[in-house]
Amino acid sequence: MHMIEVNNLTKRYRDRVAIDHLNFSVEQGEILGFLGPNGAGKTTTMKILAGYLPASEGSAKVAGFDVFEKPMEVKRRIGYLPEVPPLYPEMTVTGYLKYVATLKGVPSGQIRGEVQRVGALTGTAQVMNRVIQNLSKGFRQRVGIAQALLNSPSVLILDEPTEGLDPTQRAEVRSLIRGLAGKHTVILSTHILPEVTMTCEKVLIIHQGKIVAFDQIKNLSQAYGGGEQVSLEEVFIKLTAA
Amino acid sequence: MRNTLAIARKELSIYFSKPWAYIVFMAMVGLSSFFFVASLQSFKQVQELARAFTWARLPPEYAMFKNLTDGVVVQLWGVVRIVTLFVAPFLAMRLFAEEKRQKTFELMMTLPVRPTELVLGKYLGGLGIISATLGLTILFPVTISIFGRSESGSALEWSTVLLGYGGLLLWGATCMAIGMFVSSLTESQMLAALLTFAILLPWMLLRGLGQTADEPVRSIINYLSFDAQLEDITKGVLNLKPLVFFGSVILFFVVLTQRSVEAQRWA
Repeated sequence: MHMIEVNNLTKRYRDRVAIDHLNFSVEQGEILGFLGPNGAGKTTTMKILAGYLPASEGSAKVAGFDVFEKPMEVKRRIGYLPEVPPLYPEMTVTGYLKYVATLKGVPSGQIRGEVQRVGALTGTAQVMNRVIQNLSKGFRQRVGIAQALLNSPSVLILDEPTEGLDPTQRAEVRSLIRGLAGKHTVILSTHILPEVTMTCEKVLIIHQGKIVAFDQIKNLSQAYGGGEQVSLEEVFIKLTAA
Repeated sequence: MRNTLAIARKELSIYFSKPWAYIVFMAMVGLSSFFFVASLQSFKQVQELARAFTWARLPPEYAMFKNLTDGVVVQLWGVVRIVTLFVAPFLAMRLFAEEKRQKTFELMMTLPVRPTELVLGKYLGGLGIISATLGLTILFPVTISIFGRSESGSALEWSTVLLGYGGLLLWGATCMAIGMFVSSLTESQMLAALLTFAILLPWMLLRGLGQTADEPVRSIINYLSFDAQLEDITKGVLNLKPLVFFGSVILFFVVLTQRSVEAQRWA
């Protein structure tokens, strides 16, 4: 079953076309790397999938529900990490995660356990009682990821989850995301290409709002390497060098 | 319902973890105690005059100083009403503008929370903070009732005092509803506060404008003016008109806010 299905998805901001008739689908349990130069339309696509922005044309379905027609059904099933981690600076990490867990519909009795679970997964257990505005950028980013993981949503939409992390933390987040494969469907955007090779099987590269490649990484590197294997970076540069 | 209460609780806790609320509390208590002391003083002066010359020989506008309720508390409620007009925009400004600025609005719109629940939660939180602000002013009548004395039993006529206080709460709730709506339109808290103030102040003073108009415009303006609507209830006269009026204004702005939040889905 297609967990995410996107048909002719288009978004226009007045005259500017941000994304132009995108078509793709993601299977259940798959991790899709979502690549593209800055301003290619990655964030816009993710915002539409998460139900924050309406599309100008076309449709997007998550777990079989149209994001525009059935927003509540979709929102119950996704975890979303926006580009800027959505945190309340005055709250403590626990307070924040408990609040989000409540709004995600976690039963009151299970909130504490659920917060501890995502805290352990994202390595934020040690900062649980600190106020968010005093946290380092890396911790803020991880609290943002923790928030998305609350209530184990079947679909995760992560907009640059490793942004602002140091190499060790990045490796941790990568293995965390790899561990989600199978149970969760993940769309993950980044512009750190080795990252993608390490976490995803499949990539979607968009450039100026259009899909330029959507395939397994190994197929891509063969197709664009002229027989020999080339790195994803070379493929990326070749495809987006317009 | 659970979501609404969770949001209201979070709003309140954020209010109390920022300096703004305390500045507002201070302004409210500071300004109203200043006027409280001033009106106690003039009350005392007029009482002394009356003792020397008897009430009959004093000008009729001094009649309100015959008792503490009309002479001090009703005057004080008038001042608190004006202070509320100035401070409520600063309390309401952050409700939505802050979320938009710090990008948490995106989170709220992608969590399984209905816009209606979000708006009601925010409004309840706002009501909480304005009630806390106004709650501080109940100290003044309590002080009078402890230290004041009157020839006819109790120093204060509590039914008048509390009815006036109810009017204040109604007025505070109205300011918050308007402020919340304006806040949902912008990312800038300052702009939200100024705009709210720019709506509240002329609306409050509408009656002055109506004085020179012809009928029926004058009656309509009088009906719409906050000031005129609050007049009776502040003096302790209860009728249905202001309740219906303020109830409708609050409902109108809460619904507008809900539409404005919902509009995000269509932007």
